[in-house]
Amino acid sequence: MDVVGKDASVEPSNANDDSLNYHTPNIAPEWQVNGNNLTNTSIGMTSVCNSMVESSACSSPSMVDSFCPTVWDHSINGQSLGYCDVNVQNDVSTSSNLGSVRADLGWNPSAMMRGGMFMPPVSGMLPNFPADSGFIERAARFSCFSGGNFGEMMNLFAVPDPLNPFSQGLGVVHSQRHEMNMAELSKEGGLFMGKPGAEGSPFKNEKRSESLHDEAKQGVGIAGNDSDEAECSGRGPQEEVACMTGESPGKGLGPKKRKRGGVQNAQNDENNETPTQSAETTKDTREMKQKGDHNTTSNSNPGSKNGKQGSRGSDPPKEDYIHVRARRGQATNSHSLAERINDLLMMQVRREKISERMKFLQDLVPGCSKVTGKAVMLDEIINYVQSLQRQVEFLSMKLATVNPRLEFNVEGFLTKDMLQSRGGMSSLGLLPDMTMPFPPIHPPQLGLIQTCIPSNSAEALRRPINIQSPSVCAGFKEPSSQVSISSISEVSNWEDELHNVVHMGFTSSAPSSSQDLSGSLPPGHMKAEP
Amino acid sequence: MQNSSSSSSLMVKQEFFTKWKKGLKIYSAFNKEMTIMERKRAIKLSADVAIASTRSATTQWSRAVVAEVSSSAAGAARIAAEEILGRKLSTERRKAQAGKKIVRRRRKAAARGAVRSSAAAVAKKVVRNRRRVLKRLIPGWKKLDEICLIKETLDYIASLQVQVDVMRHLANAGETLHHQQILL
Repeated sequence: MDVVGKDASVEPSNANDDSLNYHTPNIAPEWQVNGNNLTNTSIGMTSVCNSMVESSACSSPSMVDSFCPTVWDHSINGQSLGYCDVNVQNDVSTSSNLGSVRADLGWNPSAMMRGGMFMPPVSGMLPNFPADSGFIERAARFSCFSGGNFGEMMNLFAVPDPLNPFSQGLGVVHSQRHEMNMAELSKEGGLFMGKPGAEGSPFKNEKRSESLHDEAKQGVGIAGNDSDEAECSGRGPQEEVACMTGESPGKGLGPKKRKRGGVQNAQNDENNETPTQSAETTKDTREMKQKGDHNTTSNSNPGSKNGKQGSRGSDPPKEDYIHVRARRGQATNSHSLAERINDLLMMQVRREKISERMKFLQDLVPGCSKVTGKAVMLDEIINYVQSLQRQVEFLSMKLATVNPRLEFNVEGFLTKDMLQSRGGMSSLGLLPDMTMPFPPIHPPQLGLIQTCIPSNSAEALRRPINIQSPSVCAGFKEPSSQVSISSISEVSNWEDELHNVVHMGFTSSAPSSSQDLSGSLPPGHMKAEP
Repeated sequence: MQNSSSSSSLMVKQEFFTKWKKGLKIYSAFNKEMTIMERKRAIKLSADVAIASTRSATTQWSRAVVAEVSSSAAGAARIAAEEILGRKLSTERRKAQAGKKIVRRRRKAAARGAVRSSAAAVAKKVVRNRRRVLKRLIPGWKKLDEICLIKETLDYIASLQVQVDVMRHLANAGETLHHQQILL
């Protein structure tokens, strides 16, 4: 996460340039007075920068320390919660750096943290600090960034763009997740950047960033907790270049920051690891409470779930985000960086899941293998489901007419039919997993079925059935053979009929089996069979 | 893998068939004489409940089927369903929890006022419409979101295939038997 580190380094430098002189005095009292806020902010920022921080382990922490070491410790200690996010190690410091930069721009701290990466060019960044929303407001007032600048930066974070700086800066991205997280973070930065001087929005952004943080954290955690301090430092310059249109002050300060960060990195890491995590969590919790139900849900979901559940949980949060966004009534959709990042991340996950499941559907629905494209395939699926439902209706009506007394004891022998023929509803067995591909009907069963056909007696039938059952129903030898035997005995009175019926059943099913073998089961065929 | 899958599918078929017969027995125990429509309804309901119970409430659609039956069925139908499921049915109405998501989605759609006439946008719209149509086909569609939709569709299609398969075999066998009897 060189980008992160770079941002961190860039931001402080930028902050130092302009507002450092101005803001520093304010920072101190703010920090001290609002230790909790700071912690929360840092947490928020940290969570956002989780991925960034981890990999970057950049000098940013050290830089942060250089700026407000005392403040950090104070705030962190004040919070000292039990949460320990490994990822958060450097987050606090990083976030503080980013936060300070952001505060300058009037974004809320979390936003600042996220945006920090992409905001290197934003000059006038404060030296780390932003924890206080009041401070942010002040910073916003004094911010010299016009909306135009942000607009530019926002454009930079257009959907495809956010990833670019990362890719450039990161070079070797540890995992896609990291990239996604970075993109998410950059998005968030953009989000916050877009609302300079908006007092109300920082809060919202904070909240939003919180959930984003959570998700990013989750993603980051999954991606890996490796801290690439070395890489980060190495990438610092790259990130600077890759990051937004660098402004001279920012860039000038970058090296300085990095140096400082490098010195204090170790210290920060040690100090901030636990407190950061706890602080972050606290902040997250707070943020969550502040947010509406949607956000809360979205936050809790990513935070609480992991792995499969996590991925699933992230979907609803993502959707919640979309809803929240829409509800805000923003004129332009997702022009905030953070939102874009979040959307990107979520979209990717969703797309993967959807495509994987569509593949299963393709196997299941006949005639879908040749079809490409969602629309046509969905159309086929719709038609298939409708035809199946209609068939159920039709068959139930037919059965009603055939059996005046709803007796199906006679039909017990059908189980043999089912057992022997159409062994290829294999897809059903695989469905619960949804991980295995659906194998087509395999020939051996068909061959076995055909061997049964020539037999003319129930006993002869019994033999092949018994022989078949073990081979066909590997795991269900006894039940199937028992069923076959019982059904055979049931039908023993109708040997001839049984033979005829079974034979017909076999013949009728054989062609269908053969068709199944080919992998296609035209719906019309089923109706035409009788 | 194929063997196990086929055997498991056969097991599902068997399970479905057994449960279905159980339900039908209850129906015939209740009413000796039923009209054809009643019979058809009995057959269908038993089959639906049986196939839903093979999923043992792990999927949304199966739960929806059972809920619908529990809220609207009465008399023999209810007893048959309970027998198939092996448990009592609750009579409470389905809660309107699903409304939230749908409402949110509508709001989201409304918020995006932009009209996009590009080909991609049109394609997306088509896909979205079809998804909606597909969603409505699946029982319990109100509570499905996009990802669940595909998973539920998969499961539902497979279950429908089992159901249709068994019913078809039964119908065929019954019909041929009938013909045999007539001929003989």
